[in-house]
Amino acid sequence: MSILQVRDLHTQFFTQDGVVRAVDGVSFDLDQGETLAIVGESGCGKSVTAMSILRLIQAETGRIVSGSIKFEGRELTTLTEEQMRGIRGHDISMIFQEPMTSLNPVLTIGTQIAENVVRHLGVSWQEGLNRAQEMLELVKISDAKRRLDEYPHQLSGGMRQRVMIAMALACRPKLLIADEPTTALDVTIQAQILDLMLELKEKIDAAIVMITHDLGVVAETAQRVVVMYAGRKVEEATVGELFAHPMHPYTRGLMRAIPRLDIDAEAEGRRARLQEIPGMVPVLTQPIPGCAFAPRCPFATEKCTAERPPLVENRPGHIAACWHTDRVLEQAA
Amino acid sequence: MSDDKPSLEVRNLVKHFPIHGGLLQRQTGTVRAVDGVTFSIRRGETLGVVGESGCGKSTVGKTVLKLLEPTAGEILLDGVDVTDFSPGQMWSHRRQIQTVFQDPYSSMNPRMRAGDIVGEPLENFGLARGKAKDEQVASLFQRVGLRPENMRKFTHEFSGGQRQRLGIAKALAVNPEVIVADEPVSALDVSVQAQVLNLLIDLQEEYKLAYLFISHDLGVMRHISHRIAVMYLGRVVELTDKRTLFTRPLHPYTEALLSAAPVPDPARKRARRIILPGDVPSPAKPPSGCHFHTRCPYAIAECKTVDPKLLEVAPGHQVACIRRPVGTDFAPLTPTQ
Ligand SMILES: Nc1ncnc2c1ncn2[C@@H]1O[C@H](COP(=O)(O)OP(=O)(O)OP(=O)(O)O)[C@@H](O)[C@H]1O
Ligand SMILES: Nc1ncnc2c1ncn2[C@@H]1O[C@H](COP(=O)(O)OP(=O)(O)O)[C@@H](O)[C@H]1O
Ligand code: SF4
Ligand code: SF4
Ligand SMILES: [Mg+2]
Ligand SMILES: [Mg+2]
Repeated sequence: MSILQVRDLHTQFFTQDGVVRAVDGVSFDLDQGETLAIVGESGCGKSVTAMSILRLIQAETGRIVSGSIKFEGRELTTLTEEQMRGIRGHDISMIFQEPMTSLNPVLTIGTQIAENVVRHLGVSWQEGLNRAQEMLELVKISDAKRRLDEYPHQLSGGMRQRVMIAMALACRPKLLIADEPTTALDVTIQAQILDLMLELKEKIDAAIVMITHDLGVVAETAQRVVVMYAGRKVEEATVGELFAHPMHPYTRGLMRAIPRLDIDAEAEGRRARLQEIPGMVPVLTQPIPGCAFAPRCPFATEKCTAERPPLVENRPGHIAACWHTDRVLEQAA
Repeated sequence: MSDDKPSLEVRNLVKHFPIHGGLLQRQTGTVRAVDGVTFSIRRGETLGVVGESGCGKSTVGKTVLKLLEPTAGEILLDGVDVTDFSPGQMWSHRRQIQTVFQDPYSSMNPRMRAGDIVGEPLENFGLARGKAKDEQVASLFQRVGLRPENMRKFTHEFSGGQRQRLGIAKALAVNPEVIVADEPVSALDVSVQAQVLNLLIDLQEEYKLAYLFISHDLGVMRHISHRIAVMYLGRVVELTDKRTLFTRPLHPYTEALLSAAPVPDPARKRARRIILPGDVPSPAKPPSGCHFHTRCPYAIAECKTVDPKLLEVAPGHQVACIRRPVGTDFAPLTPTQ
């Protein structure tokens, strides 16, 4: 059953340089208990999508200009701030890349988790603290009882991210949005946190939106993937399908551009060159009438620059926005 | 310049930072950022240095560049011991060793034009001025894939990838032998990262450059390096050619590091992911004996007391682990915990 439905979402910022079309008509669904990855390069609109769902776009700078976001059938875009506050941190929680931005430096860990629990679940302070300790144990912070009285700065980066996860899960959310939750962490700590998230997901049965720029993280955590480019969804499929049969030229380019640690690229002795994607991502202040990838795409034709390609289901459950998928798929064979 | 001498050689390099504390700011401790590191790099070769945050990679780079004074050890540039050179003496050798940073923006004057930034070292070293300089800068721009028209722009008008190209052009300007590249592609998106890595590889082949290439990204390491040194808490724990490192790692930390990195292939069943317990300890208080013993799945009692030396345990394969002695077979170790 679908728990989240995003339809034709447009979120824009109004800056001195013009209107930034940060999210430019994005749609996707998320099923209960499912993990959906949103992947793309920096600036493609991943975080703004997440912030839009939580209605955290600062009104002074930007807003959701059109589209619909339904959570359990309830339209979020028209809720009041008061109503949203009842949902954030309760039914929907978020984990950020930099835990320090969302942890309060002057409050103890225990106080911060308990406050959220008391506010949303209406339990006593003591029960809130008990839940906080339980959650710290759940995220495998050793000596949880003592840690309740510590401040964020006393913890390492990996531990802070665990605290963030504990806090996000304390009210048993139905939806967890994780925005680059391991990007700031070292590889061995990233492995700990991803492992923990996968384990907790089983226990808590929350749906997860995993935002990342790392295709490795996608492959290891998600069931389904949405690939974004320049504010738009360009491809969507299950993880196995996407990696086996990438269809959009951008997705393919991305996959070939990654230096792989699991592949010996130069069996012949000479160092292999990586496949480059020429050029760079477009600026989002100019309206892009056609395909946003056209200036960098080896398959581009005039039609591509003139008309925006629709999302088409080319294989079962696999959609891509490209005029020339036939030619793209041919080339692979 | 001869081919038998390494372009860069480092022996038992140590860099300690004092920690000051208390009211009188007295020294209360020492950060052992680099704790006895030895390696050499030949012409045309890339030595990758990989390890987690704080393990001392950048400190090795800065000390080799003599931006930091080494606490102990020796640094040889093309066979010449420059360890105790004064800044003045270092000047003449400075040309031989250049650097490319992670964030070139912070190291470039925002009020200078791109062409002047790249041309500055040419002027400083008295290599070219005036029209000759401009011509050289234009050809450097072309070489790194920037249009010469861009010479008049300011750095904020460039994208991240273009700024990195500027940084590379500036480093190349004085025709160095060695380039210390500290996370040169870490701030870039994958699609642009590939462009810069390809450029670095092409330039190396063209000019026979020696690279000391620092990165925490194992994919990048496997791609760019010939040999790789893995660091943990200020020490090199394993050093060998990259194929051996990725296919038959011998040090328990290397093994865990390789197994931890997410791989972009859902079809690949990973053999066994080793999740290391706990955090990397502070280099101000490194564990006794083997620095890795607090997290090592194979640690035995002696690991707490014996300080493992980096030994050539198999041809061309250096490892610092008492359970991997000289002549070790590559068989997996038995976990002890
Ligand atoms: N100027 C300094 N004064 C005191 N301590 C320092 C100084 N520079 C570095 N350190 C410490 O030395 C250790 C090694 O730092 P270094 O910058 O070399 O790490 P690194 O491996 O480059 O890490 P990263 O991957 O985060 O860049 C760290 O504990 C760091 O805090
Ligand atoms: N507060 C803001 N004001 C103006 N532009 C913004 C703001 N926040 C984000 N943007 C722009 O929106 C686009 C998408 O940003 P974001 O969603 O943060 O990207 P990412 O995919 O890296 O998370 C970018 O072009 C970014 O510069
Ligand atoms: S629509 Fe055209 S430009 Fe866009 S990805 Fe497809 S072929 Fe390339
Ligand atoms: S010396 Fe001991 S603790 Fe260190 S890596 Fe080897 S087995 Fe592990
Ligand atoms: Mg983001
Ligand atoms: Mg560093």
